[in-house]
Amino acid sequence: MNLFTFSYGIIHWLVDLINHLWYWLGDVLPWQFGDFFDAVGEFAASDGHITVMAILVEVLIIVIIALVNVLNFIWIDRKFMGRMFDFYGPYYVGYRIGGWLQNLADGIKLFVKEIITPAKADKLGFLLGPIIFVGSSFLALSTIPLGRDFGISTNASGAGVPGSALIAFAFFAIAPFSILICGWSSNNKYTLIGGLRSAAQMMSYEIPMLLTVASVFLMAGSFNFMEIVDAQHDVWFAIPLFLGFVIFLICLVAEVEIQPFDLPEAEAELVEGWTTEYCGMRFGLFMMTSYLRGYIGGALATALFLGGWHGPALIPDPIWFLIKAYIVFVIIEWMRWSVPRVRVDQLLNIGWKRLMPLAMLNLLIAASLKTLGWF
Amino acid sequence: MPARKRLNSFGFVFRPMKRTGKQVWESLIVGKPNTVLYPYHKLNLPPTYRGKHTLDFKKCIGCANCVQICPNDCMWMEKIEDPELGKIERPGIDMGRCLFCGLCVEVCPTVALHETVEFELASSDRGKIKFSAKELRDDSYADKVVEERQKRAVPVLDLGKCTGCEKCAGECPEMCIAMMPVESVGKLKPEIALPKCTACEKCVVACPEKALTMKDMYESYFEMPEPKFILKNCTGCNACAKACPADAIYMMEMPGTERILKDGKKSKPKKRAVFVLEKCVGCGKCFRACKFQSIEMPGVKK
Repeated sequence: MNLFTFSYGIIHWLVDLINHLWYWLGDVLPWQFGDFFDAVGEFAASDGHITVMAILVEVLIIVIIALVNVLNFIWIDRKFMGRMFDFYGPYYVGYRIGGWLQNLADGIKLFVKEIITPAKADKLGFLLGPIIFVGSSFLALSTIPLGRDFGISTNASGAGVPGSALIAFAFFAIAPFSILICGWSSNNKYTLIGGLRSAAQMMSYEIPMLLTVASVFLMAGSFNFMEIVDAQHDVWFAIPLFLGFVIFLICLVAEVEIQPFDLPEAEAELVEGWTTEYCGMRFGLFMMTSYLRGYIGGALATALFLGGWHGPALIPDPIWFLIKAYIVFVIIEWMRWSVPRVRVDQLLNIGWKRLMPLAMLNLLIAASLKTLGWF
Repeated sequence: MPARKRLNSFGFVFRPMKRTGKQVWESLIVGKPNTVLYPYHKLNLPPTYRGKHTLDFKKCIGCANCVQICPNDCMWMEKIEDPELGKIERPGIDMGRCLFCGLCVEVCPTVALHETVEFELASSDRGKIKFSAKELRDDSYADKVVEERQKRAVPVLDLGKCTGCEKCAGECPEMCIAMMPVESVGKLKPEIALPKCTACEKCVVACPEKALTMKDMYESYFEMPEPKFILKNCTGCNACAKACPADAIYMMEMPGTERILKDGKKSKPKKRAVFVLEKCVGCGKCFRACKFQSIEMPGVKK
């Protein structure tokens, strides 16, 4: 039983239950409505309707898991950063669980705050930017399975969506455009500089990252997360393609826009960059989404390089997946709070002069390994 | 200055990560962070920290040396009626003016005054940081502190019991007790040279009247002014003996000063003050109490 059949069963059971009531209501009411009641009941019980509802339930489950992980991630980040700088981190709110509830308290505070749109801002762009940013990040989550039977991209056959990894990267790469829209529409020099920096940054990291991902596709022989993870059953791709893994991690940091590559929202120089004009829960959404992107990044690194949900059978598959994603996230956070921010020209130098040739080398290694028939 | 070692790009990333990782190891796994969450956790302050004062009522003799030495003039003596100790005088402190110099603690001859580690003295009301003597009272505190001042046992004379039998002087192995005649009284009074005394307690054992007792005395940081007695001005009014907080002044009769009254009877002899300087704490209360310029104390304000 996978997640799809599980939610399909739930919806089927619910529809049966409601249909009993519905038909009973049709019998009780005057006879003219009988046909209408029958038609609605039949539609509700049809396979298409139940499939759509089951997918909705799947989405709900995955999104809730992701949001809980995001809360954890923010907590880990703040606590870890605090201990790194020799102070406590969140402490009072949720005293007994290490200040875990601080994130919820901050969220509530942001909800209560007023949302202000600048007078000279482009209203449509100002509203659309966050929607695209948050929506594309959630869509990137859609195809990443947490386990063989646990993910939105699983269906009744359990084979997963063909090309799911491509879809994930495509959605993952939309964010810079929304950042550019936000930066442009805010009508503020800092946000504009931030947005344009994001565009410049994207050019430098996207190509090496996709080249290393291409090497993984080459090794696995598939665009499907399921098959990529299955290909790592014996050896994780992080071992033969260690160079690629390191390049992927560096590019991931740039993609998620955290230090040392958080040029668009440089606190020191650009006063939070492209989020300067956003306040209240819009800023809260940006904050939440940046950590969600961290989670997606960890999940992608896990699925592509760290063997996904493969591990000793002692722990369930999704938990293995999450453990690996958390470890990747913690390493990224460790780097985040240790290293200073790079300049724009330095980032472009790193991207084009260092990572790009190394990614090509990594692709060559993958091709030669595949040609030798070792994988 | 030697040229700094040039780092490659790996060094730029891994050296800071090593440092922060060490910090996480120290503050998360081995120990705790350096910061203290103040209202909930408190620092373990050193015992010599200067905070709010406490006063041991039983040790305090009410000599007002602390009031005398206070540079900010923030202490005063209060007259208290205590059920256990009777009528006493004890100091109170205005924390709003206190500069926590600790001079009052250092000058206290009986080590009754102490500064605790309590530092939370802030209040919205100025009257609440004025502590009267009863609010400062903590009779158990002084025993707990490790006192830095050296304590030594010293034989202390009760002149009221002493008969001048010279047994103590004969017993003393260090020859530090000398029998000195008290002027115009005709009696001998043992004077103990405290620097020589080894606290062997032989004089205490030898004394038939139990006038000598061993008593713990603290070494003083300050040079104590001593009262100088001028016999010719003394009227024997007993004011200095009453004022003395350390019971160092005794009134002794001077034989041969009786006057014949109108009815033919002899009056009581005139009295004079005799000082036992081993007990004196140098507070100058006798000097202030004397109305006849019979006591002089250089270095003490009237």
